[in-house]
Amino acid sequence: MKLSTLLTRENRGRVASVLGGLILLPFVLSLVGAPFTGEEEMPGVFLEQPDPQYENCVRDAEYMRFQHMDLLKDTREQVIREGVKGGITLAGCGDCHRNREAFCDRCHAAVTLNLDCWGCHYYPETAAERIAARNGR
Amino acid sequence: MDRRNFFKTTGAVLAGASGAASLPVLSSCTSEPARAEESVLSGKRWGMVIDLRKCKPGCTACMDACREENNVAYHGDQRWDIHWLRKVQIRPEDETVAGEEKAVLLMCNHCDEPPCAQVCPVQATYKREDGIVLVDHHRCIGCRYCMIACPYNARFFNYKETEEWPNKDYPKRSHGVAESCHFCAHRLDQGGRPACVEACEAVGAGALVFGNLEDPDSEVSRLVAEGSVKRIRDDLGTEPKVYYLGL
Repeated sequence: MKLSTLLTRENRGRVASVLGGLILLPFVLSLVGAPFTGEEEMPGVFLEQPDPQYENCVRDAEYMRFQHMDLLKDTREQVIREGVKGGITLAGCGDCHRNREAFCDRCHAAVTLNLDCWGCHYYPETAAERIAARNGR
Repeated sequence: MDRRNFFKTTGAVLAGASGAASLPVLSSCTSEPARAEESVLSGKRWGMVIDLRKCKPGCTACMDACREENNVAYHGDQRWDIHWLRKVQIRPEDETVAGEEKAVLLMCNHCDEPPCAQVCPVQATYKREDGIVLVDHHRCIGCRYCMIACPYNARFFNYKETEEWPNKDYPKRSHGVAESCHFCAHRLDQGGRPACVEACEAVGAGALVFGNLEDPDSEVSRLVAEGSVKRIRDDLGTEPKVYYLGL
């Protein structure tokens, strides 16, 4: 089929609008869907028991959500290689976020990330049980 | 100008020009980036003097304290037990020679030229600025080269995890990583002293003396300067920082 038979003078406008609609579809969908996605699907704020000695988290929520792993890795290098102590610790996260299952494991399980942290580092409540389970396997 | 001289002069000119051109590039590559602040580890070189004459026979206070402090795995099975500190009985090799049997406390010697760090394929074992030989257990792949390289048999491997966790403030080790004494680096960084040294003082022996070898006024420096100290396998050139009195 020739292009000229598709794009006749009459339906040229229709084809153009369909193409334009296809191109704009993702943007339109994201605008329409904005109220329905987002915060509700995130497992909420995980502040089980805020410690009164801390006003805020070490970084803002947006940073922590997407870059907490960079922060933890950088801190780890500093602590282990350079001996800079007294900063962020894994156990320190547990001061406010008491429930590790909700705070760490839920999201990491959703993206099938297997965290090795708790084999060695202590986190309140569930760490011991996990090691017992792993050793029994 | 004949052919030979032509090549000589052009070669010399080209070499000089390229050398001059590459100099600033090279110097910019090798220059160290400026450190913003002085490291907390600088000016220190930790060492230990073990006075075997004061070490009580049958006493295990240092070893027990080490286990409690560092969550060193004890399974009650020789194959899997880990000993950051251990006492061995030594006696003269030639049985006809008179000599007393004595217990020697063995541990990681924190060599200045650590063979374990040299062989580590992932740089998990490394010597920190203050001379402590440490294992970054996050990086360790469990190849056990360091165990073979160590002339002091001070390295141990976690064949399995322990469920005991006496000191929750300090991490345990997962299975599949190597470990050894680290002079309680986590305590030193907070201004403390190794757990074994405190335990030895607590039982009244005071056989373990720990301090900064850089500081000429420290007790370890004084004992080392006296000259009667010995190091194990001093001939290997590993420059250990654990000294023995009465060995």
